[in-house]
Amino acid sequence: MILLQLKSLNKTFNNFCALSNIDFSVSEGEIVGLVGPNGAGKTTLFNLICGRYRPSSGNILFKDIDITDFKPHAICRLGISRTFQSSRPFPRMSTLQNVLVGHIFGKGFSLHTRPEDSDMARELLEIVGIDHKADTPAGQLTLSEQRRLDLARALATRPKLLLLDEVAAGFSPVLVKQAIELINRVRERGVSLLIIDHFLNLSLKVSDRLLALDHGEKIAEGPPHMVMRNRDVLQAYLGLRHQDEND
Amino acid sequence: MTYFAAKNRINGSKTYVVGFVLGLLALITLPIIVHFNDYILQVFTHALLLASLALAWNLLGVSGSISLGHAAFFGVGAYASALLSLEQGLSPWLTIPIAGLFATGLGLIIGLICLRLRGAYFALATLAFVEIPRVITDNWDALTKGSLGLVGISGLPTLRMGDWHVDFGSSITASYYLVFVYSFVLLGLVTFVFRSNMGLALQAIREEEIAAESVGIHVNRYRLLSLLMSAFFTGVSGACYAHLVRYIEPGLVYGLHFSAIPMIFAICGGRFTILGPAVAALVLYPVDQFIFHPLLPAGHEFLYGGVLILTVLFMPNGFWGKLRNAS
Repeated sequence: MILLQLKSLNKTFNNFCALSNIDFSVSEGEIVGLVGPNGAGKTTLFNLICGRYRPSSGNILFKDIDITDFKPHAICRLGISRTFQSSRPFPRMSTLQNVLVGHIFGKGFSLHTRPEDSDMARELLEIVGIDHKADTPAGQLTLSEQRRLDLARALATRPKLLLLDEVAAGFSPVLVKQAIELINRVRERGVSLLIIDHFLNLSLKVSDRLLALDHGEKIAEGPPHMVMRNRDVLQAYLGLRHQDEND
Repeated sequence: MTYFAAKNRINGSKTYVVGFVLGLLALITLPIIVHFNDYILQVFTHALLLASLALAWNLLGVSGSISLGHAAFFGVGAYASALLSLEQGLSPWLTIPIAGLFATGLGLIIGLICLRLRGAYFALATLAFVEIPRVITDNWDALTKGSLGLVGISGLPTLRMGDWHVDFGSSITASYYLVFVYSFVLLGLVTFVFRSNMGLALQAIREEEIAAESVGIHVNRYRLLSLLMSAFFTGVSGACYAHLVRYIEPGLVYGLHFSAIPMIFAICGGRFTILGPAVAALVLYPVDQFIFHPLLPAGHEFLYGGVLILTVLFMPNGFWGKLRNAS
């Protein structure tokens, strides 16, 4: 069943075309990698799906609901959650409270925090492996811990679709391996994922499908090994000269 | 460091509880301690009123918005209550909360227009907004008597329960206790809001707005709600001021003084704390009146500027925030 559907999506900023005519969909339970060089429009696409930007034209459907004009908080409550390229914790709040905020507001509102809310938040911190930092102000975590926190907070909103923006950028091979395990655990919880992966160190290993963008256009789509052999994709990543030498 | 991170520590800290109870007892027994000295009680009544202003200001401040225009709510509250009691002959018991509603109405207008702004832009817009009610009050002579101001406003009301009654306007001691009870109730309410999930939302918005909206927080609704609550209680405090002083004029109640002072108290005391703004008011205002005013009659308010600069430089979380971290 199709979870997310993008229909001829366009986004221009002051005559600069950031995305043009993107048609794409994500099915339930699927992990899709979003790849492309710098400035290809990957993060712009995330911001459109999450409601931070309005598309210039086109539609976004989630669970068959047209969410094109929805506000970010409403989209979150419907079941789309995200992490940020450079993580955005609530720095002066404790790590646990960061996750608690996601849990409490992700699906609506209750006036007071119940004990089971805290338990849930702790469990998520355990899953991403930073439960020993629960009482530390989030601003004092290391960058890799902040990324994990971002992920835990996004999961706390109980999403059906999770958008990960460069979750493993700059990670060592050991951390990438941990991230892959983490993503598989998330998938087991019945969450579909759309993963931006500029350096391709993650998406090739976990994705069912890749979507390649360049200069705001879709240049390839399909199984990872197929997309990575696609001429346009190689050209976008490695340049023309390399192509010519191989030919 | 933050209110929430420190919550458990506060609850567990005996020094804190003991200090709070002692401070409360001191305020309750103050009239006896000072032998019902009118001047001292007057200063502390005013300090309590300023504490309520600082607490109300911080209801908005906790969401990260700095308002430089709370005198608008204060002035509208003062004029609304004064005019309703003078012209309509209504009891202040009625006009004071109605005055709060008038201020809330103004808060709604300001909120819908200004809340799309952030940071310094929001602060400057609120600063400019004070001029609108001030100019209207100043020029609507038929209703407000313009710059002449209003005199002969009825004093604080009388509370009757059967045969028993207290006339809060009759003595300074009585008005002191009324303002004390009001500030204390407001403190309770602020505590409730800050510790509820609404407080969590406001804090998240202050810390990182984009992340807050992406985890399902309706940012604009919470910011507006906190502005409306803040406006309501600032209006109520303005109304209390009108009945306490019994004389108001536009230049006074819409003056920069009532915009700046709650902000100064909140920042010096600690914007991220519940009690800090109130404690700052109860410490700084008496220090200003008893020590600096006799020394420097013309420039005694330099105390506030000096303390503000020192706080921002050395204790960005305010002295209450600093004290709490140290304990």
